[in-house]
Amino acid sequence: MASGRDDEQMRHADDENTGDITIGPGTVVHPKATIFAIAGPIVIGSGCIIEEAAIIVNRRKEVMRVGDNNLFEIGCRVECPSVGNFNTISTRARVHHTVRISNYCVIGAACLVVPTDDETLDDYTSIFGPAAERRIWSGRGRIQEADLRLKHAEYLREMLPKFNRLRRGDGA
Amino acid sequence: MAPTIHYYCPCQSGESVQTPPPPHMASSSASFHPLHSLFFCEECDAVRCNRCVSVEVSGYYCPNCLFEVPSASVRAEKNRCARNCFSCPICRSTLQVVASDPPDGGDGRPSVSLSNVGEPPFFLYCNHCRWDSAEVGITFEKPTGLAAQLQKFEDSAPESLEFERLKEHFEPFLRTSSLSSLSHVPSTSSHHLPTSSATAAASAALARDVPGVGKYNPLARSRVGRDRTANKDEMPEYKSRMEIGVLGQLGSEGDSSDVEALRRMESAEEIASLEQRWGNSWTTSLRTSDLRPLRIPLHSKVSKRCPSCRHILIKPEQKAQSVRYKIKLVAANYLPAMTVALPHTQGADATRRPQAKVPSASDDRNAGAMMAGKSYPFHLALTNPLYDPIQVRLSVQRMHVTAATNSTAPEKARRTPFAVSLPTSSFPVAAFAEAWEYDDDDDMFGLEDDELGLEMGRTRDKDGKGKVKTVGVLEKRANVTVVGGEVVIGKEARGHVKFNMLVSYTYRSDDPLPSEDGAGTPSRTVAKTPEVKTFTFYTVVDLGPILPREEKLDPDI
Repeated sequence: MASGRDDEQMRHADDENTGDITIGPGTVVHPKATIFAIAGPIVIGSGCIIEEAAIIVNRRKEVMRVGDNNLFEIGCRVECPSVGNFNTISTRARVHHTVRISNYCVIGAACLVVPTDDETLDDYTSIFGPAAERRIWSGRGRIQEADLRLKHAEYLREMLPKFNRLRRGDGA
Repeated sequence: MAPTIHYYCPCQSGESVQTPPPPHMASSSASFHPLHSLFFCEECDAVRCNRCVSVEVSGYYCPNCLFEVPSASVRAEKNRCARNCFSCPICRSTLQVVASDPPDGGDGRPSVSLSNVGEPPFFLYCNHCRWDSAEVGITFEKPTGLAAQLQKFEDSAPESLEFERLKEHFEPFLRTSSLSSLSHVPSTSSHHLPTSSATAAASAALARDVPGVGKYNPLARSRVGRDRTANKDEMPEYKSRMEIGVLGQLGSEGDSSDVEALRRMESAEEIASLEQRWGNSWTTSLRTSDLRPLRIPLHSKVSKRCPSCRHILIKPEQKAQSVRYKIKLVAANYLPAMTVALPHTQGADATRRPQAKVPSASDDRNAGAMMAGKSYPFHLALTNPLYDPIQVRLSVQRMHVTAATNSTAPEKARRTPFAVSLPTSSFPVAAFAEAWEYDDDDDMFGLEDDELGLEMGRTRDKDGKGKVKTVGVLEKRANVTVVGGEVVIGKEARGHVKFNMLVSYTYRSDDPLPSEDGAGTPSRTVAKTPEVKTFTFYTVVDLGPILPREEKLDPDI
């Protein structure tokens, strides 16, 4: 059963959600996105963008908290227990449940972040390349990127309802 | 390993020998090429490969901004893009010119709406790894013409100044030596300098006699010529601009400062990797934090010519963004494309694919490999690219396997490792036509079965009746004909099953010119006489490795 503050968020009729999910206002969940709260609940913040074929799954009993203004691009798979704000998980990236993501991180396209031990990514970590190399972003340009994220979400909120059915209230 | 077919280009074999080298030798792989990399010269009626064509540059362009750079500026800009194209030193992707952030309102949301142009200072930013040039201290006041702004720093580097001095020192000697070599040798084709036709024409024009002016000759009788000759042979010693050791201390190449840095190193990422460093023109510091963005090197568009008749085989379009060609004489448009398959492995692969990809010993043996001591059929599919039907004849080249081992038993084994049987008569392949012009396949299949006159169920015949089924034309579909052959592998055979195959096909060409050879029909009525041409080429067929029979370790027994 899905519960949550659905008054301002936007969720589409085709997404498959199971379990106890809370989604903040202003978040855009595209059709064909999957949010599985199998073992424990998921709480997603405001202003997030979850694109098609993204999979957010919580296989642990603890609450999985996803912060504000994150972008989950197409085909990514996120199992982290906590995700901060303004992160970008790029296309087809996979992040394991052992990783905790802070703020302003960028996981590059098709990167596999699968450490065997528990790990917390610092703020401004950038993971890129086929070998998932890491470096710390200096943070220059983050305001422009934050602005872009907000505009992105705003544009989606405006355009998507014209082409897709929305799910309002409690979905089955 | 899937079976492959490669085509033979005779450029490596010398002028008299036209047959390809034996395929089991490792050096023979240089003469065989896949069909998509070969060209075909219509004048010479010959296959050309990338090694024998002569290449000339037809234009330079930047792969990022696709700007065509005129060849005069290429040297001036040191073969790199002169506009805003830089490559990230960390991940080597293209850098973007971005403006700095506006002053922060404090809560993350911009207090002032961001303008389109942005605010100075501008810097380079990598979208992929989030590196920015402000980390190495490179910022710009204007977002355009960045290469020019960086030019000052590049030119004042000590290595660059040293290089300029070297060039100035050698230039007079290069000029005199090139002129003298030109006057010795009139422009012949087998010159050691790789001249294109343009420069050959230019050098011939320069060496032409000008009336009233004596011809420059280093062996001249005049004293002026002798003096010049004397000067040409000796060179004054070159004095470098700075001591060799000084450059090392500036952080170029390993010495005590590098050792100190290595001692204090904390993680492996602090040292720049090889891929990050070898794009530089000279050695730079080893540390990742010292890596600078480089201007993107230019790519060139080449046109290729036949080495003997100078006919253009490949000529790309002038525009950098178009990938098409003005002239494209590739071998795939003239030679039939052949693919080879082993049907017993294809059946095995199809069933195995839905299962998990865990190979077991028996799987390895069945998939793609042949067991010693057995015989296997294989299918050759020929695709006809011409608009006329062709008659193809295949023949296997006799292989002389000379063993260089000491003991006699392996010699005996290598003498007959495998025997290949192919259909010996010529078979037709239909012409290439558009897809809607072909008839249904069902009719074709029915005819083929009647012709072969066998049930399809029998697979274990090794007698003459079995040969008719496996060896011969199996299928004719559109412009593809599948023929079957059989390979019998000896019990002691090892290595790969590779054999040279001679393919000759005849086709009707409608050349209006009178034919040179007497093979054409004597009566010459225009547009009625079929002019039949034959073309022959060699291929090498590689069917895959031979697995020796393991009698004791076989788990199936």
